Amino acid sequence: MAQLSVENVTLSFGGINALNSVDIVVEPGELVSIIGPNGAGKTSLLNCISGFYHPTHGQITFEGNDLTKASPHTISGYGIARAFQNIELFGGVSVLENLMLARHTYLKYSIGAASVFYGAARRGEVENRRVVEDVIDFMELEPYRKALVGNLPYGVRKRVEVARALSLEPKLLLLDEPMAGMTLEEKEDMVRFILDILAERYTTVILIEHDLGIVMDISDRVYVLDFGMVIATGKPEDVAENPAVIEAYVGGAG
Amino acid sequence: MRNPWTRTGNYKTSYAQDTTIFATYSEQASLAVFLIGMLVLPRFLVRGDMQILDLILIYALAVLGLNIITGYAGLINIGHAAFMGVGAYTAALVAPHLPFWAVLPVSGLVAAAAGAVVGIPALRIKHLYLAIATLAFQLIFEWAVGHSPALEQGGAMAMPRGMVFFGYKIAFKNHHYFWYYVSFTVLVLMAFGFRNLLRTRFGRSLVAVRDNDRAADAMGMDPGKTKVFAFALGAFYAGVAGALYAYWSRAVVIEDYSLMISIKFLAMAIVGGLGTLVGSFLGPAFLELLDINMETFSYAIKEIYNPPGVDVGSAIRPLAFGLAIVLFLIFEPRGLANWWRLLRSYFRNWPFKY
Repeated sequence: MAQLSVENVTLSFGGINALNSVDIVVEPGELVSIIGPNGAGKTSLLNCISGFYHPTHGQITFEGNDLTKASPHTISGYGIARAFQNIELFGGVSVLENLMLARHTYLKYSIGAASVFYGAARRGEVENRRVVEDVIDFMELEPYRKALVGNLPYGVRKRVEVARALSLEPKLLLLDEPMAGMTLEEKEDMVRFILDILAERYTTVILIEHDLGIVMDISDRVYVLDFGMVIATGKPEDVAENPAVIEAYVGGAG
Repeated sequence: MRNPWTRTGNYKTSYAQDTTIFATYSEQASLAVFLIGMLVLPRFLVRGDMQILDLILIYALAVLGLNIITGYAGLINIGHAAFMGVGAYTAALVAPHLPFWAVLPVSGLVAAAAGAVVGIPALRIKHLYLAIATLAFQLIFEWAVGHSPALEQGGAMAMPRGMVFFGYKIAFKNHHYFWYYVSFTVLVLMAFGFRNLLRTRFGRSLVAVRDNDRAADAMGMDPGKTKVFAFALGAFYAGVAGALYAYWSRAVVIEDYSLMISIKFLAMAIVGGLGTLVGSFLGPAFLELLDINMETFSYAIKEIYNPPGVDVGSAIRPLAFGLAIVLFLIFEPRGLANWWRLLRSYFRNWPFKY
């Protein structure tokens, strides 16, 4: 059974359909990319999966849980984490605290224990710090551990954004343009991180990306959206030769 | 070699060590010196000084509560004095039946309940609109008290007198001394409590909804619940402060919990430094001491310059208050806490800078 299935999802704002009968299936361990021109509905689809938007019609299920009407914090509890397109970090605190914030649902101690910072609270903090340190190590963020996020350069903040999503220890990771505006070296690093996430952390990844070279290189499957509709799907090499995709990207012959 | 006295060369070897608040011996020692200093301070002060000192401590507790709501969770609150008032009126109602150490938490809890109710609009509205909702609570509180015969319609409700605490009788002479020690103990305990919360999921989630509530939602925090929690927690601090104020002033009067006081708390929080713990103490201390000194100053002014029809003396105090706030907003919007931070960071690596 598919890990994530988006069935016949339509999302309309007033009279405009941002998504129109979209069907997407993702199997565990896959890297699925969603591409399409600007305004095609890629981020809207991610917003539907992560609960920021609720589809007007259709259904989204993840490992047997219905996500259609669920709120973002419920959905993150099911094991879906998300990195935002426009960096949405907690700017006033350190990298470490940003990542610890992603451990929120794993920390169960009471407010009494927390106010004296003893017993369960201290243990919980230390145990989860260990998980976060693994992620810091994995994303190579050691030099920035105690740095204020608001003061970090763009490329590093993008990495912190992915690291924070990883700190949730998700089963499915949604990456919304993690390489936008990066230099070639930074893009190569990010690709390496994504491949490592798949290989070492056994996490399914849905990737939105505009750099088609990267998408075609690393994806298992690709969905192409245009005007809120899936116009093509399949292996990268098949999608690249699909006439509908070529038309969406470079325009028709006439 | 590990040197536990300074930050320099003091390497942490476990994650538990990295969570400590006072990391070095010198920090722990200066805290101890400060606490002992505060405990022996009353020996050197007269009754009038104690009165001001008590007020600063009680206001510091209330401003700490406001800082939790407005500074840490980013929810503008212009009804904080009303939370304090809820605590004070609760104290006035239950004080005849309970010892004071039980009255304080009860007042806090009733105020926390009021805070949670006021926090409910925060599920839906943000920023300026939420500020107006808290203002509405302030006005509702004042109106409700003013129309309740059970609360003397805002007139003075007397607090019990002549209490005996472990054989120690509290009367006119030692009143301010006794409540100094009570207020100081309560403030230290509650400040430590909040400082501890700050290094756990509770405190972090407050900052998360302030910085970015969308991301907080995606990270598994319920932003609505967190905001209601922030209001309840901040109101709890205000409620305890209200009960202390009631005991300290020996009576509960509506004027002590009016909109003007709410604004004063906001000013104290800003002058101290919004979203800082130490600012909650520095702000009230600075503005109260300024107020007292301006009062003395205004008598001196009257001697020199006193034109007929203009009360120069009584204009000085609000003038100084307003000027202080404006100057802070322009020159140091991060408040006195920022000076404190700079001072500390200077001494962090002292005397070995590398």
